[in-house]
Amino acid sequence: MGDIVTIKGLKYGLQLTFAKGASFDDVQANLLDKLQSGNGFFIRGTTVFVPKGYFAEEQNEALRKMFHRHGMLFSTELKRPNLAPPSRDTSTKASKAKAPVEEAQKMMVINHTIRGGQEIKANCSVLICGNVNPGAQVIAGGSIDIRGTCRGFVHAGAFGDKSACVVADRLMPAQIRIADLVARAPDEEFKASQAERAMIKDNQIIFEPVAR
Amino acid sequence: MSQIIVITSGKGGVGKTTTTANIGVGLAMRGNKVALIDTDTGLRNLDLLLGLENRILYDLVDVTSGRVQYKKALVRHKKYENLYLLPTSQIKDKSAVNPEQLVKLCEEMKKEFDFIIIDCPAGIEQGFKTAIAAADTAIVVTMPEISAVRDADKIIGELGRADKENVKLIVNRIRPQMVEKGDMLDMGDIDEILSVACIGQIPDDEKVVVATNRGEPAITMSDSVAGQAYKNIVARLCGENVPFLKPQKEGFFARLKKLFGLL
Repeated sequence: MGDIVTIKGLKYGLQLTFAKGASFDDVQANLLDKLQSGNGFFIRGTTVFVPKGYFAEEQNEALRKMFHRHGMLFSTELKRPNLAPPSRDTSTKASKAKAPVEEAQKMMVINHTIRGGQEIKANCSVLICGNVNPGAQVIAGGSIDIRGTCRGFVHAGAFGDKSACVVADRLMPAQIRIADLVARAPDEEFKASQAERAMIKDNQIIFEPVAR
Repeated sequence: MSQIIVITSGKGGVGKTTTTANIGVGLAMRGNKVALIDTDTGLRNLDLLLGLENRILYDLVDVTSGRVQYKKALVRHKKYENLYLLPTSQIKDKSAVNPEQLVKLCEEMKKEFDFIIIDCPAGIEQGFKTAIAAADTAIVVTMPEISAVRDADKIIGELGRADKENVKLIVNRIRPQMVEKGDMLDMGDIDEILSVACIGQIPDDEKVVVATNRGEPAITMSDSVAGQAYKNIVARLCGENVPFLKPQKEGFFARLKKLFGLL
């Protein structure tokens, strides 16, 4: 017997299709199971598409709430959401040019320390009120702002945005990546004494002090 | 109000079992009724540290599988009458006990005991998940060493994921001389990374090894610095405000003694 819910990866999200004859309750229970099992499919910020008109409006609303609780977006229309990676085909139309601006303004806020082995992934920028400990990973489509000490692995501008930067009260990551550039910590120990910003200049990642 | 405490660390060999035995004895010495549960199935050690190996009749697996009542499996300590050990099986492995069974057992035991202390196995797999399931307080043991601190950090993250918010830290086997020379992480470094309330700093003490081999926890030895540190931890667990031990520097006389010892 096939699965009640089938997940298909799309360019901008996940498309859900359902087995014939499955009731809404079965579908909802099955999805909740999948969400809580923590498999790699349901990354925060992902958009989930359900065919329009498949479920009643209030049922869609229930699904929307459930996905929202798990940090995901829900849509019945197959289109590129604002959260998608920066588009390379930005046309001159004002309405289309608005999308990347909105996206850059979006920010994920995390209000705790990211410990070793934990991973934060976001299409937008990330603000972390806490430390990023050694062994932790933060990967963001936009910039990363850490109100604390950064000792982990950070990747800003993961979709190739070279204007992204990483700011931290004490910036001493094991490895830092911005867009497609990589820099690593020096082999000898060092202690950052003030807030710094890492950014790309002349095709190199540089650190510069910032006032906070 | 009874408390269920799990002693965990992630990394092996940092002193989980030693800490469990010492805290257990310490709490019992203060007149609490204490049960120690060893969940390190297949690699049980807690009975050795307490010198109770030859008194074991039944084990945790017998209890959780419903073969015997837990009271039958409890081993009373020979010296401290309020201290009981629930040993685990040496033959089975970690999959023999599941989290629900342990939660059920602890619920039952809660009625009888003031403190239930669970000794957790190393690692973050099934054994760890079983051990932490029932606990309302977690004590993370670490050492001033980069790998132990890294693993403790991971464990604290895992505890957070399992909704265990009451997490405390014990730093074991500190060598003041090495810290002073900068060869060992100091408390400041550890605090900064883990940022968890520290309830104990235990100096490295040879007497702990002697105590382990004898089956009498160091807390019972009046001349052991580690034993003193454990006494302070027990007092802090009981809600007293005890200052941390000053790191002992090797004094002039100690050095003199060592010199004569060498000669």
